[in-house]
Amino acid sequence: MRFGDLSLQVVAGAAAAGTTILVGLIVWKVVDGALPSIRHYGLKFVWTNAWIPVTGHELYGAASFLFGTAVTSLIALALAAPLSLGIAIYLTELAPNFLRGPVTALIETLAAVPSVVIGLWGILVLGPVLRTDVEPKLHSAFGFIPLFGEPSSTGSSMFTAIIVLTFMILPIVSSITRELFLGVPHDQKEGALALGSTHWEMVHGVMFPYARGGIAAALILGLGRALGEAIAVTQVIGGVTGSSGIQWNLFATGDTLASKIAASYQGATTNLQISSLIYLGLILLVFSLFVNFLAQVIVRRVARKQGFGAARV
Amino acid sequence: MPKYGKLTRIGLLAAVAAVLAILAAGTAGAAPAKKTGTTIAGAGSTFVQPLVQQWISPVGSAYGYELQYSGVGSGAGIAAITARTVDFGASDAPMTPDQFTACKGCVQIPWALSATAVIYNLPGTKNLLHINGATLAKIFMGQITQWDDPAIAKLNKNVNLPSTKIATVHRSDNSGTTFNFTDYLSSASASWKSQIGNGVAVSWPNGTGQRGSAGVAAGVAQTPGGIGYVDVAYALHNHLSYFAVQNRSGKFATPGLKGILAAASSDQKPDASNALSIVNPPKKFPLAYPISTYTYVIVPTSTPKAADIRKFLFWAVTKGQTYGPKLLFQPIPKPVLIVAEKTIKKIGS
Repeated sequence: MRFGDLSLQVVAGAAAAGTTILVGLIVWKVVDGALPSIRHYGLKFVWTNAWIPVTGHELYGAASFLFGTAVTSLIALALAAPLSLGIAIYLTELAPNFLRGPVTALIETLAAVPSVVIGLWGILVLGPVLRTDVEPKLHSAFGFIPLFGEPSSTGSSMFTAIIVLTFMILPIVSSITRELFLGVPHDQKEGALALGSTHWEMVHGVMFPYARGGIAAALILGLGRALGEAIAVTQVIGGVTGSSGIQWNLFATGDTLASKIAASYQGATTNLQISSLIYLGLILLVFSLFVNFLAQVIVRRVARKQGFGAARV
Repeated sequence: MPKYGKLTRIGLLAAVAAVLAILAAGTAGAAPAKKTGTTIAGAGSTFVQPLVQQWISPVGSAYGYELQYSGVGSGAGIAAITARTVDFGASDAPMTPDQFTACKGCVQIPWALSATAVIYNLPGTKNLLHINGATLAKIFMGQITQWDDPAIAKLNKNVNLPSTKIATVHRSDNSGTTFNFTDYLSSASASWKSQIGNGVAVSWPNGTGQRGSAGVAAGVAQTPGGIGYVDVAYALHNHLSYFAVQNRSGKFATPGLKGILAAASSDQKPDASNALSIVNPPKKFPLAYPISTYTYVIVPTSTPKAADIRKFLFWAVTKGQTYGPKLLFQPIPKPVLIVAEKTIKKIGS
């Protein structure tokens, strides 16, 4: 074997092995750190709805944080999905040429805004607006649905967190989807239009099926972002309190797994509290791995069915 | 073999190798910085951080020490000194017996003295409304929900209180300020003590959590009817409205240096572990502001830098105290200073 080939193999192999080992080490450290809490609470931790860090009365459980994580990220995804698709369709099919470049650049800039800045904007601008203008209106119109209960008092709520997360998912999903739509062969699109389809029929009949697998993967990527986002959520979600452990009212305060870890890890006082926080991290890790796995299954299934398209992601 | 130029291939290879080399070097430990003098590193309480920051330059010019401090929170400070990754830790809550055992030969020394202000945002009212501990406990437990509640009105006879809803804001992160505030509520209200208790974080019965004093202040500032608690220096420097709090003698005290000093004079005898409790002092201290607290530095009694740490701590509890007042830290009283100095002398190598 020539020297060049050999060194390429060694260097590339070391890079791959390093990453694999690193992931293994992370998992090992997380499990190791969570062990005292796992021993103490077992699996019951997952569905215990309590977080009492007071010395002498300590009791920890993940239920309210799991609930908060699921509610905020799923609703944020549900809001971001149609918006992202709309943006992508507009940018690839409908927008006048001179607008496409600048708008694309602006949306991609949104992805580069640090999350702590988005969180600050959430506290100072978005929260008060939602509290005084949006939440009371939603409450009076849809108050019969438990999701739209009493408006929040300070502007910090699960709802504010959902909107912040929507803004964070939006650029990811829309830019991937735009790339997918750009990859749809021109002859297929023009063929559909030549057959007399409207723009919507063409989007619906040609572009969506072509990009379906990729869109699903992009959405799951967005979901992953929402699940793991810590700082911005911590800033606007308000925290779980006695009465808001598990509440369907979106305008109540809450916590996600990631926001709880971000808020409480620094300065945690007892070993049990620290290992319970790492246990939350372990749950989040398992959750994220599951979501990733789901994404791969979906992409493979769609790709097998059509044999093309999905490969672009 | 794909048709890349040889140069490209070598370049790519070199780049990957360089990245790996940097990573390897990083894990092996960065090259030591050039030593300019002794470094004294500490970590812990964010409450005391503004004061310690003031000390960096005078300590540097007096002894040539490079003082480093990270405000990582009291709990993390205790963990850091327990693991001996720093030279001193700083905590607002006195250490528990368990923590002393884990820290193996650590002592704590009271080295700064300040208070927690209870801030509010109630348009149409003036600064320094009156409040007492029992009422505060009921507010934060969600039993008093409106500003014109008779319990508040009784304390503010000449004020026209609106019926605005009360929105409580607390710290979502762990904080010595929370310890001080919940310690006070536990002392002033039996039901708070039995149902919620005290700590650097508690299970709040209601309200909104925010990160840091800045977050709590922002939450209160944006919410008409809002009420929260922050370090006193933060409240004063940001011109927030704060309460005069009724002490046990029945007087309404403001969180200024005078009120803090009066509270401090209620307990001048540190216990065996050097802890002092000056929250909600008895009624023979009519000027005392009841939500005052000491904060502590934690050092091992046996350390290779003993002489330097002794010098620094002596300076901190004497000369260092003169930097306090403009940050609303009251210099520690003489009897406490004597005990502090006695403890500092125990540090050896």
